[in-house]
Amino acid sequence: MKDNFKIAWRNLWRNSRRTLITAASIFFGVFFAVFMSSLQQGSFENMVDNMVRFYSGYIQIQETDFKEKRSVNNSFKVDNALETSISNNMHITHSTQRIESFALTGSESKSIPAMLFGINPEKEEAISGLSKWIGEGEFIASGSKDILIGKVLAENLKVHVDDSLVLIGQGYHGVSAAGIYRIAGLLDFPLPDLSKQIIYMGIRNCQEFLSMPNLITSYVIMVNAPEEVSGAVTDLHKDLSKELKVYPWDELQPELVNLIEGKVASGKVVKALLFMVIGFGVWATIIMMMHERRRELGVMIAIGLQKFRVVIMIVIEAFFIGLIGILSGIAGSSLLVWYFVKNPIIVTGEMAETYRSMGFEPILKFSANIDIFITPAIIVFVIFALISLYQIYYVIKLRTVTALRGLN
Amino acid sequence: MNVIEIKDLVKIYNSSEVKVKAVNGITIDFEEGEFTAVVGPSGSGKTTFLNMLGGLDRPTSGSVKIGGTNVWELSSRKLIDFRMNNIGFVFQSYNLIPVLTAGENVEFIMHLQGKPKKEREKRTKELLESVGIGDRIKSRPAKLSGGQQQRVAVARALASKPEFILADEPTANLDSKATSGLLELMSEMNRKHNTTFIFATHDQRVMDKARRIVTIEDGKILKDERFER
Ligand SMILES: Nc1ncnc2c1ncn2[C@@H]1O[C@H](COP(=O)(O)OP(=O)(O)O)[C@@H](O)[C@H]1O
Ligand SMILES: [Mg+2]
Repeated sequence: MKDNFKIAWRNLWRNSRRTLITAASIFFGVFFAVFMSSLQQGSFENMVDNMVRFYSGYIQIQETDFKEKRSVNNSFKVDNALETSISNNMHITHSTQRIESFALTGSESKSIPAMLFGINPEKEEAISGLSKWIGEGEFIASGSKDILIGKVLAENLKVHVDDSLVLIGQGYHGVSAAGIYRIAGLLDFPLPDLSKQIIYMGIRNCQEFLSMPNLITSYVIMVNAPEEVSGAVTDLHKDLSKELKVYPWDELQPELVNLIEGKVASGKVVKALLFMVIGFGVWATIIMMMHERRRELGVMIAIGLQKFRVVIMIVIEAFFIGLIGILSGIAGSSLLVWYFVKNPIIVTGEMAETYRSMGFEPILKFSANIDIFITPAIIVFVIFALISLYQIYYVIKLRTVTALRGLN
Repeated sequence: MNVIEIKDLVKIYNSSEVKVKAVNGITIDFEEGEFTAVVGPSGSGKTTFLNMLGGLDRPTSGSVKIGGTNVWELSSRKLIDFRMNNIGFVFQSYNLIPVLTAGENVEFIMHLQGKPKKEREKRTKELLESVGIGDRIKSRPAKLSGGQQQRVAVARALASKPEFILADEPTANLDSKATSGLLELMSEMNRKHNTTFIFATHDQRVMDKARRIVTIEDGKILKDERFER
């Protein structure tokens, strides 16, 4: 066995230029794949983090029918058992109660439909930093009777901070809801769609408005890290009463999941093509290598080397090439990835505006998730496993006499 | 005592459009300690004959018995081991593993036989000294002349302590000085250690040394002569 390694290793450097070029092609593939995955994964993580913080939370508890029919009738009361379950859950870092509903807003000039959120301002602030979007006026505090509205909505209604706004809605079980509220501040969201139709008020205030005391539509929950979502969901599930349901973020945001899956798939296609090209290149090199050594292999078998030993020798040699490529590729790319994880790329100019208008920080983040490195390594390994099948086939088919005669 | 007994050996190649009867019914025995040249014009079937005799090329019909074993009845794995333990090969060229040194090439086969390290090293040294290149033990084949390479090949062929050595035109690529040197070496091995040699050649100088000359033409034995030398 030691002999096999010795011969394989020395064979590797017989044509060192070819070996290095082949290893370099693998290096390039691994390097590129890692870099691409890191950027992609990083931007997804960032996107999910943004969306989850801003809107859905990592987990939500809702009344069973709320997902189908987003009506305040499908709301629920938070009992002690649920509170205990949430506060005892090790994964959970933050939680806040919400009412999600609709209201018609009116001014003298016109009336506009809007999304109405009843929130706990302090807890919401802790999760999403909502107050940073305040463009004019002030953020609200718990118990306040005032409201916050989107800046574009205010412009459309031609209202300002300190003006009063009439809200009309449908309360619990069809009770009509109406009220006048002072505008405490305007929220300057980067997403125009949000800015033109959002209204926040304190949750108690909202419960009063909609005649649904102590009821909420959603309990929003944050966990330490995305990986802990499923654990937290399982734990919550155990304690949950029948009429409630717990959703992880990917069920709450199917569009986001679709978007990510689409991009992941196209990334996979690019990487598959890349590795296919590299794989065929390596295969061609190995074919050449074996062909050049036909006579030599013939001599070895003639003097008494069993074919399986010959196979082991040349397979080891091929794997050495793969190993050099994988290791150097991972070493090189991890340096780069490490650098970019520490120093994310700040997007500037028009691109930055595009990012902001979608509600994201104009930043390209990288991920250093271990899978990013393991996957290309496995792919290269599989390529070499396939090539070794070819090598086995080649040696089995090799006829000693014809090889010795230098014929095919 | 007969080392090799060959009976009605035939080899027909079907690979091309025309059938080639490369060996066409050879029956012959070889005794221990013989120094035999198989001669004949190019294409007469020398290589084919030696390959069948050496367990490399399967005969179309006939049998080869070496030390009582009918080699063509062995499984291909057993046959490879049989070759390793019983036959030493010297080919015309590309004999040595290029990435191994002269010493490692000789040691290689003993390693396959599972000989202990001490014995291997001692024998390698002795063998390379006996073929006259003890000082080149650490050289790779590319650093050796053609004659030196063939000497290493002889040493390697001897390393496994085979029943006999088959050499297919071992001097074909050598100049006259190297040729006579190699011949001198082989006949010395033959005289001193009673090693059985069978070689194919059409080199007159090789024939001059041989004590038995088997002449082949069109795959048949034309003459089988013995000389006192
Ligand atoms: N693999 C093969 N396929 C077809 N014909 C072959 C093959 N090998 C050898 N021959 C033919 O067999 C005959 C004997 O060849 P060979 O044994 O090499 O002769 P020699 O060694 O005496 O020159 C030649 O006619 C040669 O062309
Ligand atoms: Mg020949």
